[in-house]
Amino acid sequence: MTNKSGHIIVIGSGAGGAMAAYTLCKAGHKVLLLEAGRDYDPKSETPMFKRNSEAPLMGASTRDKDFGYYDATVDGGWSVPDEPYTTAEGSEFMWWRARMLGGRTNHWGRFSLRFSHHDFKGKSRDGLGADWPFEYEELAPWYDLTEELVGVCGTNTGLDDMPDSGEGILQTPPQPRIPELLLSAAAKKLGIATAPMHRAVLTRPKDDRAACFYATPCGNGCSIGAAFQTTTSLIPMAKATGNLTIITNAMVREINVDDQGLVMGVSYVDKISGNTNQLDARIVVLAASACESARILLNSKSAQHPNGLANSSGQVGRNLMDSTGAWLGASIPGLRGRPIYNEDGHTANHLFIPWWGHKMQENGALDFPRGYHFEIGSGFGEPGAGVPGDIDGYGKMAKDAVKLEYGAYVGLGLRGEMLPNEHCYMEIDHKVKDKWGIPVAKFHWAWSEHELKQVEHGLKTAKAILETMGASFSQPLPDAKTAISKGGEIIHEVGSTRMGDSPSDSVTNQWGQTWDCDNVFVMDAGVFASNPHKNCTLTIMTLAMRNASWLATQLDKGVL
Amino acid sequence: MADKPQSLTSYVPSLTRRQTLKWIGVLSATAAFPLLSSCDKKTNIKHAQAAHWPDLTFAPVTTPGYGKDPSLIVPPTSPWPLLLKEDELNVVAVLADIIVPRELMVPSATEVKVPEVINEWVSAPYSRQQEDRLSIMSLLSWLNTEALQRSKQVFIQLSAPEQMTIIDDIAFKSAHSSLEFGKPAVAFAAFRRLVLAAFFCSPQGSKDLGYQGNVPISGDYPGPTKDAKAHLDTLLTQLGLSL
Repeated sequence: MTNKSGHIIVIGSGAGGAMAAYTLCKAGHKVLLLEAGRDYDPKSETPMFKRNSEAPLMGASTRDKDFGYYDATVDGGWSVPDEPYTTAEGSEFMWWRARMLGGRTNHWGRFSLRFSHHDFKGKSRDGLGADWPFEYEELAPWYDLTEELVGVCGTNTGLDDMPDSGEGILQTPPQPRIPELLLSAAAKKLGIATAPMHRAVLTRPKDDRAACFYATPCGNGCSIGAAFQTTTSLIPMAKATGNLTIITNAMVREINVDDQGLVMGVSYVDKISGNTNQLDARIVVLAASACESARILLNSKSAQHPNGLANSSGQVGRNLMDSTGAWLGASIPGLRGRPIYNEDGHTANHLFIPWWGHKMQENGALDFPRGYHFEIGSGFGEPGAGVPGDIDGYGKMAKDAVKLEYGAYVGLGLRGEMLPNEHCYMEIDHKVKDKWGIPVAKFHWAWSEHELKQVEHGLKTAKAILETMGASFSQPLPDAKTAISKGGEIIHEVGSTRMGDSPSDSVTNQWGQTWDCDNVFVMDAGVFASNPHKNCTLTIMTLAMRNASWLATQLDKGVL
Repeated sequence: MADKPQSLTSYVPSLTRRQTLKWIGVLSATAAFPLLSSCDKKTNIKHAQAAHWPDLTFAPVTTPGYGKDPSLIVPPTSPWPLLLKEDELNVVAVLADIIVPRELMVPSATEVKVPEVINEWVSAPYSRQQEDRLSIMSLLSWLNTEALQRSKQVFIQLSAPEQMTIIDDIAFKSAHSSLEFGKPAVAFAAFRRLVLAAFFCSPQGSKDLGYQGNVPISGDYPGPTKDAKAHLDTLLTQLGLSL
């Protein structure tokens, strides 16, 4: 029996937590939302229209603001004050965290691509990794509902890597810019299609959120609500139901269980007072991010759950995946000195290259099993702490070199699927505790040949595209081991509490409900059974909406 | 052309208008010379005795940075103590205006306060900036040693043409592989990128570069202009590509 008088507690206010809270509140349930960071108000705190020249160091990245001065992330980045993490010897792993209401949704890239039918049943196809416990068709209507609620711009392309959205769901995407058009023409010559990127950016107004006005980077946050973040949408919408209570600066220490091993409460540190408080819990929904949720479960040990809560399978913390990342760019001679116009657009790529190799993989024509996409970096960007160009001398000569090169650089950012492997996981480092006395996460990481071969293919392809655009390369391509991102660096960490069909090799069922504890759910990317190349946030939200809806029906029926 | 400045006006951050005019008067002497001297390689007389490069070390800057939750709406104007001394700031100002002199209506580097940006940069408690500090301070020190060797005066005391003969020896890529000037040339190149960034990042510099964004657009994003499209069409034809 669950503790009927306890709270429904959602831990985390990012993509998964805010969607879970909103869905439950809308279904009429009272929700208590715990956020480890401070309150955050995008309307008053977002640096709209602020120029780099107004920021310290021309807005450059520093260890305090890893993505530049104006990046929306509060009290986070690659390090969080007083909250370290460790890596095993020989492993490199980077863990991006935010300590603020809305979490990482305040600064994310807003890329919102649906997973396709290939992505849910990879193991059935090639024997690697794990299948998801459902097919694409199960998730398709939930993707429609999520895209409608969130507001996503893009188009239905009919490409096999991009399932169509329901009629009228997607908003009109912005027109492509010149370098993107040139790249599209070059890719076409090589038999590779480009498509409008799908982004959670409104190009038409929705509820009380305004349409994008095509200025100021989304990564800084968006005070007008055009670029989706939970602090301008799901959280105020959930509050408006009257069913949501939020406690900020609430760092969860552990989840407590009763004699039967069922969850009965949560203990959290109030970061302001430093006190540890107890809350009664009827249901706990973990959405603290894949690795933070796994950390909480592993730190919640009891006689009934000696290896940590919901960890009878030993899979909590295992199967950790990130996206692969690599970058290749070049100056395009034909773009030098081109006519200047406003290329801010929605401040990310308007076109991208979806994975075009599903058929080749089916035919065994590629030596790596899973796909990738390319994001395009280009444009007449806002000047900042760096200048382009082959600069020599001084005066007009030096200035002209910068001006000539302005807007001539085009880069291709690879984002690919990795497969889980035994060397990539997180555990608890019992030797190190954070300021609150909570044992920290320790990461283990090693890419496999699958990822390295994929990156090698990507670099060659990127080079071919750039050369077709007129670029030339004086240096050979870096090898894949050098070019590939570090674990965690793409900030798509998933899989640490994966869902599946069996309690023996997964942590949750298809509803994100832990096999071991009926009243504990995971609704962040920890539940991903695989990590398709298509950016995780849209699917985090879609799963959270679907699974919180299921949870609401279980509550209504009195099952939970 | 202008004589050696007799009394130097110090570079004073946040100059009043009167000070600015006085200051520009000094700098225009330098600024007037680049084209002349850069074309006149014959001035490159035998002067330096041997390659030299200072072996400077600095205690790490340990002041706190702006932290992980600074105000993004009102950024700190003086986030850490500034480290450049007046004479160093003066050389930075001279170099900055050699790199970005006034061009007709376009202001020079000092007119848009580039030296202040450099001072903030080299004083910052972050690793990249502290590396740049070592490089820039070494360059400033090298310039004085070189000036003393050539003319028995520190760099700032040289006449503008004398300053330019030294700068001409280190400002071009050809010097990067030179035994004598390689190190100062590489340091100058890095400093030049920083000065150019600080200039183009300023409102006036950004306008000079041509950046047209950061303005709200109502309705749909208009996409490329007619000119931009025509340029692309020509390029596509040249490359044998089609949309």
